[in-house]
Amino acid sequence: MHEMPVTQALLDLALEHAGGRRITDIYLQVGRMAAIVPDSVEVFFEYLSEGTLAEGARLHFEMVPLEMTCLDCGSKQDLSAWADQPPHTILQNAFARGCACGGKNLRVTGGVSFGLVSIDVEPES
Amino acid sequence: MVNIPVLKEVTEANTILADYLRSRFTHVLVLNVIASPGAGKTSLLERTITQLNGTLKIAVIEGDPTTSIDAERIAAVGMPVVQINTQGGCHLEARQIQRAVEQLDVADADVLIIENVGNLLCPTEWDLGEDIKVVVASLPEGDDKPLKYPGAFLKAQAAVINKIDLEPYIAAKAATMRENALKINPGLAIFEVSCTTGEGIDVWLDWVRQKLAEKRAAEG
Ligand SMILES: Nc1nc2c(ncn2[C@@H]2O[C@H](COP(=O)(O)OP(=O)(O)OP(=O)(O)O)[C@@H](O)[C@H]2O)c(=O)[nH]1
Ligand SMILES: [Mg+2]
Ligand SMILES: [Zn+2]
Ligand SMILES: [Zn+2]
Repeated sequence: MHEMPVTQALLDLALEHAGGRRITDIYLQVGRMAAIVPDSVEVFFEYLSEGTLAEGARLHFEMVPLEMTCLDCGSKQDLSAWADQPPHTILQNAFARGCACGGKNLRVTGGVSFGLVSIDVEPES
Repeated sequence: MVNIPVLKEVTEANTILADYLRSRFTHVLVLNVIASPGAGKTSLLERTITQLNGTLKIAVIEGDPTTSIDAERIAAVGMPVVQINTQGGCHLEARQIQRAVEQLDVADADVLIIENVGNLLCPTEWDLGEDIKVVVASLPEGDDKPLKYPGAFLKAQAAVINKIDLEPYIAAKAATMRENALKINPGLAIFEVSCTTGEGIDVWLDWVRQKLAEKRAAEG
């Protein structure tokens, strides 16, 4: 059930930006730790979009890996190489490794949110 | 086809409403209490209310998927409380808070405490117009919780490690949980408490008073 409210929110947001035109495609970014299951979003979307200008739109999910930023040197590390491990293990190891600069002050800066990147709409006829 | 960039979190509309609510919550410190089921949210509220009573006016919004048990517990300690049943929904949203404050006199409250639905995932994504997100983590549930639910600890300003009275009997250690929480968010204010014995509650209450004073000072 848990994806229903976010699916309603993304549908509303997409319709708001469509300016009354029919939406054919919706591009989404899902953080590895956003606790969002794309398949469930698809199911709810099909149901919620019925009768709206987004009915039948294709959803495109781009998974966003965990990203850490070093507070000492500002460099970012993408943790996608460890994507087969559970997220908390990835995090634990990343904190233990630290940054290439020797810094140990890392912050999680990516992979925790669910964003709407863009939509494709039919041109006005 | 025409591509229209949006570049927003999907919960954008909720965030806009939450920002509006925040602009209306002047002079009252709003806490959004987030935790997994049974971590001790209501117990922390009961402690906070009972010990601040007489010095500060408190109002409470209780989120619960189906029951009014928690709201009754709050009413039993004599506080104004509004119950929001989420009908099974796993988090509160700003529009529910908007409706709740219509029924609750927050104008002369000093602190408004919102108990979110027991869940460490979704509540962090839905801004309620609060000043401060407080995550309550129950020690017996495991000291690795901050690593498993980084989102909650990342977005919170305070973490309350609860049930430390049980520490002698379990493998989880409050110091380890603190360390893990600080890895996720070095700026977190962390409190180690037992809502059962009352240990550590004073330090938490001093912090709440200080945050209220800071907010009022900033408002002038
Ligand atoms: N030993 C111990 N038990 C506690 C402590 N705090 C709360 N509990 C117990 O934990 C259980 C759950 O506490 P609640 O305060 O109802 O937890 P909650 O987070 O509000 O639960 P939900 O609203 O149902 O998600 C109760 O049986 C409490 O008595 C504590 O510090 N120590
Ligand atoms: Mg409760
Ligand atoms: Zn949920
Ligand atoms: Zn570095």
